[in-house]
Amino acid sequence: MTRRFTALAALAVVCAAVEVVAGRGMSPGVVWEVLNGGGDATERHIVFQLRLPRLLVALGAGACLAVAGLVLQSALRNPLAGPEVTGVTPGAVLGAVTATALGLAGWDAPLAVVLAACAGGCAGAALLWLLAGRGRGDPAQTAVHGVLVSAVLGGLTAMVLLVEPGELGSVVQWLVGTTEGRVWEHWHLLWPWALVWGVAAWLLAGPLTLLRCGDDIALAAGLSAHRARTLALLCAVALTAGAVAAVGALGFIGLLVPHLAVAVFGADLRRSLPGAALTGAVVVCGADAAAQLSSRLLATALDSGRLTLPVGALTACLGAALLLLVVRRTPSRTF
Amino acid sequence: MVAVLLAVSSVCALSLGTPYVPPHRLVAAVLEGDTTLAGIVVSELRVPRLLLASVAGACLGAAGLVLQEALRNPLAVPEMLGVSSGAALGVAAPLVLAFSLPAAVQPLLAIGGAALGGGLTLLVAGIGRSPSAVLLTGAAVAAALQAALLVLMVMADQLDLQLIYRYLLGSLSARTWDDVTGLWPWLLVAAPALVLCAPVLSVLRLGDEDAEALGVRAQRARLAALAIAVVLIAPVTAVCGPVAWVGFLAPHLSRWFAPAAGAVRWLPWSAAWGAAVVVVADVPARLALAPVETPAGAWTALLGVPAGVALMRSGGRRGAAARRTTAAPPAGAAQPVHRGGPGPGGPPSPPLGTTGPEDVR
Repeated sequence: MTRRFTALAALAVVCAAVEVVAGRGMSPGVVWEVLNGGGDATERHIVFQLRLPRLLVALGAGACLAVAGLVLQSALRNPLAGPEVTGVTPGAVLGAVTATALGLAGWDAPLAVVLAACAGGCAGAALLWLLAGRGRGDPAQTAVHGVLVSAVLGGLTAMVLLVEPGELGSVVQWLVGTTEGRVWEHWHLLWPWALVWGVAAWLLAGPLTLLRCGDDIALAAGLSAHRARTLALLCAVALTAGAVAAVGALGFIGLLVPHLAVAVFGADLRRSLPGAALTGAVVVCGADAAAQLSSRLLATALDSGRLTLPVGALTACLGAALLLLVVRRTPSRTF
Repeated sequence: MVAVLLAVSSVCALSLGTPYVPPHRLVAAVLEGDTTLAGIVVSELRVPRLLLASVAGACLGAAGLVLQEALRNPLAVPEMLGVSSGAALGVAAPLVLAFSLPAAVQPLLAIGGAALGGGLTLLVAGIGRSPSAVLLTGAAVAAALQAALLVLMVMADQLDLQLIYRYLLGSLSARTWDDVTGLWPWLLVAAPALVLCAPVLSVLRLGDEDAEALGVRAQRARLAALAIAVVLIAPVTAVCGPVAWVGFLAPHLSRWFAPAAGAVRWLPWSAAWGAAVVVVADVPARLALAPVETPAGAWTALLGVPAGVALMRSGGRRGAAARRTTAAPPAGAAQPVHRGGPGPGGPPSPPLGTTGPEDVR
């Protein structure tokens, strides 16, 4: 188990190194020189004011999304309960978009965006909670209602964008999910939030492991299942909202990374929760590095400076590939 | 009920707006033709739009029912086949990449994209045998196409972005007779196929083994049903964009009103409900923020989904019975996707993994 953690941590370091080097306009040698204290003012600015915060935001957001997904899947005992399916991500996007459209928040006030995204995410989750009613325990029903809630929230976002069409350009990064142009301010907002709720999730790891086994077993072990589930849901919503406010609606991370983490670290959440955080960080950071590298290659190949690959597109592709893999490996199974 | 709803909303759609044409003068206005302003507006703008709305709704509703029955899953929606993402890609690519194309080719591109997405899903679905595997492949293809669309959206400038976004939501504004006539050949192909496949559908929902025992080749029948759904959806999404949630809502409504009937009777009802939903949603889409047009897809999501949920929940025993028949998942299928974890309590449904227009919207 320790060896797996070490391997994953090494992978994270490699991804981070690639991410720092991968961007446009500087060769790896120059980056190394800058890190050793050399370089001129522009190069120093690029590395320390643009690349490092971007790297940190990617790591933090990936960890947040993965932990939120694992907590949701365990609390609802539903392998499909990613943040996208439970109405949390669409709600957070709606909150961020509404705050921007009303002029309450902008790039100069990231804190307002985080708060608005959090409120929206809570609203989405609360809507699902109300709608699911008594059928809460049934995963299939929860999934149906989650899809419906997402639809309504998506329609509301569309309406807001129609009333304020000028804002579409500035909010498209929330709709897509990208780490372009993240600066230290975003990181300073993300890390305390992620730390507080991450620690809360870690404290809940034991009860969540019991919840995974079913309500009856959890009750027999002396756990107040209802309260533990409510706390866990709150935690997951807060983590997702923080991540969405930082990088936008990154697809598939919250749905697929928890499965990966459980496959590698086992079903005991006390181990697989940190594992999921590490895996999520590695996946998002690696995807971001790959997106930067490939957009650099594509830009030189096609000779057009406009081409940038958002990391959201790459994670969606990854998710698609993983889904196909699951289908191929178990062609006749019903899921 | 459907007929009343359709009639009322059709009259509203024809008479409201600027200029207001009172209902009793509608026939006269159409007969006058292009001699008066009202005649031109009604016969050249409102009638084709109404026809297009009802045809599009009927196609989406029927396709939704075919999908849900063939895949035995209440969550199978047309958006999951990759058809709408493909069509959106076909619309967005020439806009953003600034190809100069003759005007005649542009509608063909959307249909081409839709056919590409659907064909890709069908091709890859040959691997997976079970209904849920087919759904998963569809979701994967849709997600991959969505990723390409995201790249285009980030590259696009402000105006192109507006156009793409409006198309993604599904809009009926400024559609003329040309668009309506473009749909007919597809319908001529799809309608007989639908009639032929309806009895097979009611056999398919019994489960693969029972269907085989009754002499239906389940795999082949399912692929044929998927192909019919693609043929139904592709031209509609090419013309008016993926109008959201019609293909999900219409079959559920038709089942709720006649829980005991089979697929053969649900099919026309589902088409009728689809038409009603789109026609009703188009009225506020045209008038709510006049003179600005709002996309009909946003209204189907905003009004249709809560209405559908309220209907399905309020029904008491009748609703519960309907839900039990519709939401009946394949029995004994409680296998989690992941390994190592304790299994989930009930039968899980397929992943709704497309972070696509649903989230983008």
